Amino acid sequence: MSELVEAADLALLANGFEAAMAEAPDPGEADQALYDLGWADLLDAAPTQGAAIAFSALGKTNSAASLLDDVVAHALGMDISLALCVVFPAPHQTIPPACRHGNAVVVDGLVSARVESAATAVLASEAEGSVGLATIDATLLQGSAAGGVDPGGAFRRVTAEIPADAISLMANQGTWDSAVAAAQVALAHQLLGEARWMLAEARQHAIDRVQFGRAVASFQAIRHKLAESLVLIEGAESVAQGCLHDPDPLLAALAKSLAGQAALTTATHAQQVLAGIGFTAEHQFHRWMKRTLVIDTLFGSAGSLPIEIGNKLLSQDSAPRLIQL
Amino acid sequence: MDPETFRRDLEAWLDANDEELSPPYEGAGSMDEQIAHYSLVKRALYDSGFGRYGWPESVNGLGGSPLLRAIVGEEINLRGLADPSPWTMIEVLAPTVIDFARPEIAARLVPPFIRGDEMWCQGFSEPDAGSDLASISCRADKTDGGWAVSGQKIWTSFIQYARRCVLLVRTGEPGSAHRGITALLVDVDSPGVSYSPIETMHGRHDFAEVHYDEVFVPDERLIGEENGGWQVAMDILPYERSTTFWHRGALLHRRFSDLVAQVAASGDRSDTAARALGQAFQSLVAFRSRSRDTQHRLAGGQQLGVETSIDKILITSAELDLFKAVRDLLGGVVEFDDDLAAAMWRTDYLYSKAAPIYGGTAEIQRNIVARRLLDLGPES
Repeated sequence: MSELVEAADLALLANGFEAAMAEAPDPGEADQALYDLGWADLLDAAPTQGAAIAFSALGKTNSAASLLDDVVAHALGMDISLALCVVFPAPHQTIPPACRHGNAVVVDGLVSARVESAATAVLASEAEGSVGLATIDATLLQGSAAGGVDPGGAFRRVTAEIPADAISLMANQGTWDSAVAAAQVALAHQLLGEARWMLAEARQHAIDRVQFGRAVASFQAIRHKLAESLVLIEGAESVAQGCLHDPDPLLAALAKSLAGQAALTTATHAQQVLAGIGFTAEHQFHRWMKRTLVIDTLFGSAGSLPIEIGNKLLSQDSAPRLIQL
Repeated sequence: MDPETFRRDLEAWLDANDEELSPPYEGAGSMDEQIAHYSLVKRALYDSGFGRYGWPESVNGLGGSPLLRAIVGEEINLRGLADPSPWTMIEVLAPTVIDFARPEIAARLVPPFIRGDEMWCQGFSEPDAGSDLASISCRADKTDGGWAVSGQKIWTSFIQYARRCVLLVRTGEPGSAHRGITALLVDVDSPGVSYSPIETMHGRHDFAEVHYDEVFVPDERLIGEENGGWQVAMDILPYERSTTFWHRGALLHRRFSDLVAQVAASGDRSDTAARALGQAFQSLVAFRSRSRDTQHRLAGGQQLGVETSIDKILITSAELDLFKAVRDLLGGVVEFDDDLAAAMWRTDYLYSKAAPIYGGTAEIQRNIVARRLLDLGPES
């Protein structure tokens, strides 16, 4: 692993990233601003740690910057740039987004907003149990509308059938499994950033909102919902941070699953504490909540990952001791 | 000593002495058998030196980081060599007694405790003071050369095997709450101590109701200051939630791995089985990761505090999720089967129901998180 970046430098970078994300709501502008701040160098010098601070900032600011393309491309051993995007697995999946059918490759996956401006897309496909990597012209995937529950977000679904002669196979450098792990750890940090923002909003609302002559924060039912959210966030955070020192793919999957569970539960509890205002479009809460739904589905979700993890344990007949003192 | 070298040396020693250290009984064994074997394992560890690391030289330890104690308990629990419950009392009580008792008392009394020659117990809760510990009423009045203790305690674990008891008593006015509490180290065989066991729902006599009737405790057995008992009790809390939790986490890991092996052997490859195992594993990993961070903060000399309520909630969830999966996936074993393995699953399943109750209920922990970590202000 590369040298870890000094804590003071990290704090500065984190602040810079958050400010840039807050100022550039458009995904393309945000990508450019982060490249200007040295995001690519950081990812090269300290991939896991760099992704952790950038994605944590993504979560807190709810920015739609397309940094996941860079994390995955970098883990696959490619030189990252704003001209390169990646096709991600279909919702809730960790398997490659494409498979070969005769002379064509059938794609069912997710892409970020960067697909609209990129020249090249990286496409992983599965055939006969092994994963092949290829590049295609990004225009083949362009033009899909950014719809869905979170139109302001970066991700949209893409289905396509690409003729075999449009595909340039490339030599695998990084493996697909390590790319999945890198994406899962980064997304775990994003989900925890989303969760911490939602918890902070709900906490402040509970303190400010008065009913029956007292702050609703004084009611135990509300206190316990917020406390449960914090406990799930801290447990998931510890595992996500642990991934900095341990590249085990199983730990990465656990981090993503725990972070998804923490963020989804926090979203539910925070919305209940916010009550009526949290159901409106006037309050910002719904943006974070919808982004959480979307990010949870990327590279395996809190619903799907426990099944994958359990199957892995069953195939090994035992549970590995992942966390060492 | 470097923790990894220590662990390797310990593993080699445990491998070499496996026969002597393995329980002589099958299944869980009776409580008498468990306690006898626990003492044997503790003594072997102490005499080999492994059980003395992580304890200060003032109590005949060999020094080094408390991480070393966490490692010893982890290895013992992963191998299932000794029941962790009596061991818990050492990790909970000994560090605080070392910090707060008179040095000559700690130097004389603590070594046989950590060697496993004798057991101690903890007299905190009372019938009317459970979660609300500051409302205890068991009294100690000054007498010639010491104290006279009268009152009642409950949930005192292992008193039938114990030589001494760390007791919280009321020395201030009845309404003095946490300001009027004192900690004493009492000999269980003192005249005036009597107890009656309480049978738990998993069929054991883990704890007892204890009566103190004019029990004399000499001045030298004061732990901390007169009316300083609350500080002593609060000092215990972080120890209870660091090393002890790490040990119990290792036991949960072993039982989880047993469950995975049993489900794998049954051929059940359903999504339901995989999901239940995956969820139980992620709860366990979240706890272990958090607890690892806590061990390192403690070893680094940091003061542990209310944030350990999060560790408590996480280990409780891990335990409940694990044994829910046991019941769900081993169809009918908990309810009907009577072989040794089933009896152990049943015992552990039933015992898991105590996890959200002992050591401060799940609700109290959430109250602490809300008040102290989320800063939500006072409750109505």
